[in-house]
Amino acid sequence: MILIPIILVVIGLYIWSLYNKLVTTKTRIKASIQEIGNQLKRQAEMIPNLIDSVKGYMKHEKDIFKGLTDARKAILEATKANDPQMMVDASEKMQKHFGQFMALVESTPQIRAVEAVTKLMDELRDTADKAMYSRRVLIDLSADYNIMIVTFPAKLVAQLLGFKEEKGLVMPEEGEFREVSEEERKTPKVKLE
Amino acid sequence: MLNIYEQVDRNKKRSFLIMAVFVVFITLVAYVLGRASGYSSSWIAIGLIFSGTMSFASYYWSDKIILGISGAKEANKKEYFNFYTVTENLCLATGLPMPKLYVIDDTAPNAFATGRDPQHAVVCTTTGLLEKLNRTELEGVIGHELSHVKNFDTRLMSVVSILVGMVALLGDWFLRSTRWGVRGRPARFALRSMAGGNRERDEGNLGAIMFVLAIVMALLAPIIAQLIQLAISRRREFLADALSSMITKYPEGLISALRKISADIEPLEAANRATAHLYIVNPLKGDEFKGKIAGLFNTHPPVEERIAALSGLK
Repeated sequence: MILIPIILVVIGLYIWSLYNKLVTTKTRIKASIQEIGNQLKRQAEMIPNLIDSVKGYMKHEKDIFKGLTDARKAILEATKANDPQMMVDASEKMQKHFGQFMALVESTPQIRAVEAVTKLMDELRDTADKAMYSRRVLIDLSADYNIMIVTFPAKLVAQLLGFKEEKGLVMPEEGEFREVSEEERKTPKVKLE
Repeated sequence: MLNIYEQVDRNKKRSFLIMAVFVVFITLVAYVLGRASGYSSSWIAIGLIFSGTMSFASYYWSDKIILGISGAKEANKKEYFNFYTVTENLCLATGLPMPKLYVIDDTAPNAFATGRDPQHAVVCTTTGLLEKLNRTELEGVIGHELSHVKNFDTRLMSVVSILVGMVALLGDWFLRSTRWGVRGRPARFALRSMAGGNRERDEGNLGAIMFVLAIVMALLAPIIAQLIQLAISRRREFLADALSSMITKYPEGLISALRKISADIEPLEAANRATAHLYIVNPLKGDEFKGKIAGLFNTHPPVEERIAALSGLK
């Protein structure tokens, strides 16, 4: 009969450690969303500076400037809404326009020679990298977390303590195949709600 | 194949084992020397204190000692923007704390990591590496070094550097000082005192001890080389390469970096036999004398093999 309290203690310890693990993962997921937001905000702040410092050299490239400004607006909206999917979409848009801009700068030696511009470009590239890595962390963590709460026996504890599935991200650059499967995964959830 | 937790566990155990073996070994040598000179107990005490202090130092200050003998200086964000931000980003991706960053002012491209745990980690590159690699390649290299940090390879490799490597370096030094001698005398005295000469006995004894030590060290050198190889195991380089690609999700960056580093024939002045195994690519290449010893101390798998393994990950 001494076995019963031992089993209870073991179960208690298991629930305890699992709860901590789930909460930690959730916190890290939140932190990575925050980080994506921070980096995108930084990016948005730097764009006007960048445009100002190169305007003199490329007056006729209005389309590119407009694209960058639009992407900047989208980022500001997304960070205000604090929605990771919106943020990622906005940053994807920014990357597209920024890529065109980069190509233009690379082919214009006078601009490349301006130290302020190269510095800003470096900073922008770094923020883009940081946003990308945080995004990956977010994806990996939500995948881990979602697997954790649907596998036995953690599933029981997660249900008991009310842990819900985290929304993943749809990555545009990863091709239609991934996107479709992501949609398929989501459909039953919509029915439930 | 070990998973990362087993790998960490094993590295911690091995670090401890090497420190223990070192204490026993040095105390034993001290005992033998003590028996020869007739003061065995005090020799043992000296041996114990010396080896104990060395083990302690190798655990707590290996990073500082290694950075010191490599002549590295701290890197700031402003001057080394790419180095700093790339490390920052990969730490974001791996969840590791930001390590201290150092640079060695040398045009030969190379990099290493040290420190006893992720909280005290140091990543060090040469200025040549930062100049010759682009940002993507640098990500591959830093990813490799951070993987060593994460696996606790850095603890083991640093302890090995200080304890086993120092024995090898001391062996070199003893051998040189007896063969040619700073004053050219110890060797002669050694021979004379061994032949039973009684004059200048004290100095003769010292010479004899140096001579014996030198011979012992010379005999030990290949064994020590073997020991470093055993402790380090070239597999951990493959593992760090693979983990680096997992972090960056872009093996091509590291492949191109490895090509560039190994194509550079310039030897790295700051590296020696004790620290060579720390670097991402063997730094002793090129130099003929160092190169020969490097063959003996072959702690790195051939770069072609590493590239082939990385290409398989694509």
